[in-house]
Amino acid sequence: MPADFLNFLPEATTLIAALVALVVAMASNHGGATWWTALVGSVAVVVTAAMGLTSQGEPFFPGIYKVDAFSQLLKLSLAVGLLVVTLLASKRDGIRQIARGDFPVFLLIATAGMMILVSATELLTFFVALEMSAYALYVLAALGKRGEQGSEAAAKYVVFGGAASGVSLYGLSLIYGATGTTYISAIAGASPEVVTSPIFLVGLFMLLAGLFFKLAVFPFHAWAPDVYEAAPHESVAFIATASKVAAVGVIARVLALAVPDTEVLVTTLLILCVVSMTFGNLAAIAQRDIKRLLAYSTIAHAGYILIGLMTLSHTGMSAAIFYGVIYLAMGLCAFTVVCALGEGGEPVTFDSLAGLHKRSPFLGALLLVGLFGLAGIPPTPGFAGKWFLFAAALEQGHFWLVLIAAINATISLYYYLIVVKAAYTTEAPENSEVQAPGALVAAGALSMALVVYVGLFPGQLWTLAEAAATAIGAR
Amino acid sequence: MFGIPILSAILLAPTIAVLLTVLIPGRNHGAIKLVNAVAALITMILSGIVWADYDMAAGGFQFMEEVPWVPDFGIQYLVGVDGFAVVLTMLTALVYLTGVLSMWHLTTETRAKEYFAFMSLLVVGVFGVFVSLDLFAFFFFYEIAVLPMYPLIIIWGSSQREYAGMKLMIFLMGGSALLFPALTALFWVAGGESWSMLEIAKANIDVQTQVFLYPFLYIGFGILAGMFPFHSWSPAGHVAAPTAVSMLHAGVLMKLGAFGILRIAMTLLPEGAQAWMWEFAVLATFNIVYGAFVAMRQTDFKFVIGFSSVSHMGIVLLGLNTLGVDGTNGAVFQMFAHGVMTALFFSSVGFLYEQTHDRDIRNFGGLVRQVPVATAFFICAGLCGIGVPGFASFWAELLVFINAVQVFPVLGILAVAGLIFTAAYMLRVFGKAMFGPVNEKWDHLVEPTPFEIIPRAMLLIVLLGFGLYPKPILDMLAPATQTFLALFN
Repeated sequence: MPADFLNFLPEATTLIAALVALVVAMASNHGGATWWTALVGSVAVVVTAAMGLTSQGEPFFPGIYKVDAFSQLLKLSLAVGLLVVTLLASKRDGIRQIARGDFPVFLLIATAGMMILVSATELLTFFVALEMSAYALYVLAALGKRGEQGSEAAAKYVVFGGAASGVSLYGLSLIYGATGTTYISAIAGASPEVVTSPIFLVGLFMLLAGLFFKLAVFPFHAWAPDVYEAAPHESVAFIATASKVAAVGVIARVLALAVPDTEVLVTTLLILCVVSMTFGNLAAIAQRDIKRLLAYSTIAHAGYILIGLMTLSHTGMSAAIFYGVIYLAMGLCAFTVVCALGEGGEPVTFDSLAGLHKRSPFLGALLLVGLFGLAGIPPTPGFAGKWFLFAAALEQGHFWLVLIAAINATISLYYYLIVVKAAYTTEAPENSEVQAPGALVAAGALSMALVVYVGLFPGQLWTLAEAAATAIGAR
Repeated sequence: MFGIPILSAILLAPTIAVLLTVLIPGRNHGAIKLVNAVAALITMILSGIVWADYDMAAGGFQFMEEVPWVPDFGIQYLVGVDGFAVVLTMLTALVYLTGVLSMWHLTTETRAKEYFAFMSLLVVGVFGVFVSLDLFAFFFFYEIAVLPMYPLIIIWGSSQREYAGMKLMIFLMGGSALLFPALTALFWVAGGESWSMLEIAKANIDVQTQVFLYPFLYIGFGILAGMFPFHSWSPAGHVAAPTAVSMLHAGVLMKLGAFGILRIAMTLLPEGAQAWMWEFAVLATFNIVYGAFVAMRQTDFKFVIGFSSVSHMGIVLLGLNTLGVDGTNGAVFQMFAHGVMTALFFSSVGFLYEQTHDRDIRNFGGLVRQVPVATAFFICAGLCGIGVPGFASFWAELLVFINAVQVFPVLGILAVAGLIFTAAYMLRVFGKAMFGPVNEKWDHLVEPTPFEIIPRAMLLIVLLGFGLYPKPILDMLAPATQTFLALFN
């Protein structure tokens, strides 16, 4: 049916772009042609995702695959992430010569997997999509030039990721055992005795554990600092932003549909949330490598997002989705600077930032916007995002949790500010102007524009986030 | 007037200045300064129009504008001013204009472009706080006002700037950490429909909740107002900051804290305020006496002024905690008077420092004979600080102390006694640096040019004007105070 195809258009475009890019990569010797193909493809993906923002329906397989306000908002975010990272990857000089043509292909495949993932409403489809994106990400992490360290990080990512998937899969089997169905809508309708039974809860916890790995929630975070540090900058930019949006989305879907208000679940999530943000922020203070610092900040942000998710309320889910989306834009601002400074895949440290305000005022401003966003300073959307998350927690009366989170935000400000200080108060070395390629500047400008726009006018995105929360049945 | 949304125009002028400053190439520093001066002048004129057009007989909030911001979550851009806000908006415009004029010596090499961008951004935040009537908007602007302090101090500051800048940020953001849960809780306890302060004020919040939430708001805002024992960021920040930033910081930024206490903590949680008035009055008295004591021992001009600010902000906080007519009027009057006075102080000290690169009081002597005009400005600010009749703060301090002695007899008398120390430290500075034996080392100092005299003279005229004729401010404050105190009966 044509309507079904229209509803499936963003995913279809991504898949087709991936296949075309693959063919081009095989046919041409250098990566340039693939990159242009992927760029055209990702622009098309953004356009189709934007057009499909309001579509609704269950194309092809009712009950298994759902297109709604929730999936479409996340798909649009993923599409934007794809476009920005493709733009960032114009040079790919941190990636092994032989793999430069393949990079955009895996980027597209990972995006396609995540797009399917956020629409999946059946456990097996869900798992297949999860793995589709995960394998592409493993490859992206392994394409770097940095020999032993890079291989070690990539191996760590695969092993941890594989284990997490295994745990998730086992959890899914327990859920199936308890409820006798793999349809999330049927699970949501299961009787209270079933969904409060130990076997169901154990299954749910195991499923969540696998998803928390993606989001880098403590104690499933151990891969993040190493992978962030050693993997190519462009890959990390994607892993740190787009894959987080997808993870927030699916966790919200699982929690909203399949879970009654169980005390044990809320308490567990609350503990993970507090530990995650406190650990992430404290560990970030000690870092000298910017990507490692951002990895620990990701762990802290996973904690903030859990504040919204653990409320299991409509406001909380909306806030978590809102935060996930803006986190993508803010993270991309910071990672654009990392990509620009880390030429040839070199690590980016505090020393690399010296005199950035003079070497490239644009990158300096971009860094400022990105980090202030992550710190939650207006007029960036980080402020509104935190406000919504905290308000959602207060709705359920978690006063002390919000106090701890707000104190955490103060701690995080310290390490964001020392990065800003490094960029703004130190003198630039001689002849060190940053020659950022045009595509990279475009990527930065796009991310910055998004951050500033949503920061000043958070109303529209909030409306979309609320519609998304309604679509997944959050109460 | 003329049908323009005047409060938004006040916010827009410095915003446009920020954008233009970012767009103008850095080497064109003359144009950058001109843009910011014009923006400041516009805010000054518009604030004057607001003052003139405010209907004192009607009272309440006027010049209201409302635009939905996050409509699905009850957040709106809602602005309006009452008497308190009118006075403080005027203060901000005055300090903004004189601050820009005081930093006219910045050039391309000293990064004039970034300086004025951050400074105007800070001013946007300050204006926003004074006119916002929505909790989200209020806090949004509050954070915008605080954050530019960091780059302003660490890039253009002096002694120990990196330490002072970080200390300031951590203290102020720590204050915000207390505000976050309390502000968001206010929304839900008031029904969870709207973030508008006017709506929340209508809700009947039970006493227990009020008493629980109040200290979070009071201390959270109080940190920015320099409340004891969370004041130590403030003198350090004053000392490290460049001249105009010290002016803005002590002149208006610290007032944001006191204003937050008045506008949000006390207005929305009146029963909480009553329950806690004693405890916080004791701390405010500590501010007054302790600040003056410490100021006596300082050898750095800016540290003296920094601790005098701690002491003077104590008067504001004490006045607010009386929850009486004179105390409230006096507190807001003191915010205004202290703002103008410290701006004059820092402006005078900044002028000396730029020539001498020395702020140690012991290294000066007989300045009054070397640079009489520059010194006169400093002495006038000092006299105002002591509370000499004829200067604006005389009335403010008088009103606060009258009410304080009635409400808290012991604390009131202690606070009045604190004034003696104020006189002591101020006269000590005068005696050592201004009069006393001449130190020939500084014979080469030059007087301010007529252009440099302008901002300082403006501040002095305001101080003297409202000192001799305080009626316009008191008339402006009266209806707002009346509305405010009606909450406590």
